Amino acid sequence: MTSIVSRQLRLTSPRPVRDLRCGVFWFWCTRMSDPIRIGILFSTTGPYGSMGRDARDGAHLAIAEFGDASDGGVDAVFFDPHADLAAYLDGARNLLRQGCRHIVGTITSAARKEVLPLIEKHDGLLWYMCPYEGFEANESVIYLGGCPNQHLLPLFEYLIPRYGKRPYLVGANYVWGWEMNRLARELVGSAGGEVLGERYLPLDETAVERIIAEIEQRRPSFILNNLIGPSSYAFLAAMRALADRDPAFRPEVCPVVSCDLMECELVDIAPGAATGQLCAASYFDTLATSENARFKRNVHARFGERRVSSVFASAYTAVKLALAAISAASTDDPRAVRQQLSRQPWPSLFGPLAIDAETNHAALPFHLGRINSSNSFDVIASRPPLAADPYLTGGNRLQPRLRVVS
Amino acid sequence: MRQTPTFAGSKVTILHREDGNTEKLVRQLRLLGVEENVQWAPLSSSDLPDIIMVDADQGWDDLLPFDRQAPLRPVVALLGSEAPGRIAWALSQGAGAIIAKPVASSAVYPALVMALSIQQEREEAQDRIRHLEERSRLRPLVYAAVERLMVSHAIGEDQAYRTLRECAMRRRLPMEQIAAFIVAGAEPLPEAI
Repeated sequence: MTSIVSRQLRLTSPRPVRDLRCGVFWFWCTRMSDPIRIGILFSTTGPYGSMGRDARDGAHLAIAEFGDASDGGVDAVFFDPHADLAAYLDGARNLLRQGCRHIVGTITSAARKEVLPLIEKHDGLLWYMCPYEGFEANESVIYLGGCPNQHLLPLFEYLIPRYGKRPYLVGANYVWGWEMNRLARELVGSAGGEVLGERYLPLDETAVERIIAEIEQRRPSFILNNLIGPSSYAFLAAMRALADRDPAFRPEVCPVVSCDLMECELVDIAPGAATGQLCAASYFDTLATSENARFKRNVHARFGERRVSSVFASAYTAVKLALAAISAASTDDPRAVRQQLSRQPWPSLFGPLAIDAETNHAALPFHLGRINSSNSFDVIASRPPLAADPYLTGGNRLQPRLRVVS
Repeated sequence: MRQTPTFAGSKVTILHREDGNTEKLVRQLRLLGVEENVQWAPLSSSDLPDIIMVDADQGWDDLLPFDRQAPLRPVVALLGSEAPGRIAWALSQGAGAIIAKPVASSAVYPALVMALSIQQEREEAQDRIRHLEERSRLRPLVYAAVERLMVSHAIGEDQAYRTLRECAMRRRLPMEQIAAFIVAGAEPLPEAI
C-alpha cells in the first residue's frame, strides 16, 4: 500500500511496513529528547476523501505547531487506507508495531469499530474526532467528535418547533445512518410526530430519483440527511431541482438538515445546490471567536487561503490535544495520558475543552449552520458546550434550550 | 426496537470476586447510569437487584436465590471458560446473555439489553402459558354448556358452540366464564342463532 504522503513527498519505495517510514515527519528541535510518536490514520481518497484530506492537513498543522513550540518534537507516521475497510486494520497494526501507541483517526464508525479491538488489545489509545452515533465509551478511545445528545438532540429541539414533526429520513447504509435515523424516529415519536419515510443509500450511490419522488409525494416537514459523500451531494442537487419545480421544497420551508456535511465538501456539490440547507457541527469556519480568528491566520499562513472544515479543525484539535497530554504526562502510557487529560479543561479551538474521565468524551458546543452562497456556513444558532451522554441516560430527551444568535 | 433501552437508575449486582474484570464492568455500568454492587456471596431473595451478573466460571448453585426453571431477574453470565459444564451451569441459572472474559467494555450494554429482553420474552411466554392452561382447565365447562344448549334447543353441536361464542362476544366475557354461568344456572340460556 503506497501512502498518499509518500507520493506527495515524491518518494517511491515498494510496499509494506518499511515504506511507511517515507511518511514519517521528523521535527527535531534544539534539545535531543525523544520525539513523541503518534500515528495518523485517514483515507485521502474514496467517497469521503475530501474529509480525509482536510483531516490530514489539520493533523499536519498541529504537528508543525507542536514541533515549533516543544523541545522533543514529533515523530508522526501517516497511514492512508484509501477507504478500504480491511486496510484500516492493516494500518492500525502497522502503526502499533512501529510504536505509535496513540493513533488519531478514522472518520467513519465502520472504520473505528474495525480498528478498535486491535488498539484495545495492544493498549493503545485512539483519538476519534468525528461526530458519531453514540452508544460506545471504550477506555481505549478519546471521543472528540460528539455523540447524539451533542448534535442530533439539540438539532431536533431546534427543528421540530420551527418546521414540524413529520420528517423524512435518509442515511448512509451503515451503522451511522441506521442509528442516527433510529434515534431520530424515537425523538419524533416522543414529540407525537410521524416519520414519513426512511431510505438508505451506499456511499457511492447517486441514483436518488426514487427517494426524491417519494419526498415529493409525501411532503415532509424537513429532511434529516445522514448520507455521506457522493450520495449526499447527488441528493442535495436533486432536492434543489425539486425546489425549483415546487416552492414547498425550498430550504426555508422544508430544509435538508445534515450532521455530517462540511465546508470542504461544499465545493463537490453543484454550485448553489446546497445553499440555504442546514447542518449541525461543533465548528464552522465562520465562527466569530478570537481562538478561531487566530487559528485561521495560522491555517492561511501554512496553506494559503482556504476554508477550514470541521474535520480539519477536529483533527487539528485531536492531534494538538494528544501531543499536549502526552507531553504533560511525560509518557505515552495511555492510562497516564487519560488521567492527565481529564485533570482540567484544555485550551482549544472549541474554547476550554473538558474531557470526562468516565466517558472519555469531550464536552462540545453545538452550532447550527446555514449554507450560504459562498460555500460556507452562516451560524444561526449555538449552544454552549454540552457534556456527552453516549448512552443517553439523561432521561428527558427533548429539552428546549436553544439560543438563537441571529 | 422502538425505544432505546436505558438502564439509568437501575440496580445491578455482580456476583464475582473483585478483579480487573469487575473493575471494567463497574466503570461501564456507571456510564450507563446503573447503581452497581459487587459481591462474592449468595444473593438474598428479599433484596433482588434489577439485573444480575454472575461468574459462570466459579459460580455455584446457591449463589442465585431462585428456582432455576423460573429466573426472577435477567441474568448475564460472565464466562471465560469454554467448558460445556460451565455453559450448562450458566443456562441453568437462566442466563440470557454472556459476557466473555476478559471483559471488553463494548460487551456490557449489548449483554444487558439482550438479557433484559430475553427475560421479558420469558415472562410474556409464561403469562401466556398460564392463561392457556387456565382455559384448557376450564374446557370441560364449555363442553357442558354446549351440551345443555344442544338438548334444550334441539340443535347440533356446531350451532350450540356458535351460540355460546356469540353470547360470550356480546357480553365481552371469555367463553369459559359464560359457560360456567350457564352450567351453574346463573345465566339464562341464550337463544339459539
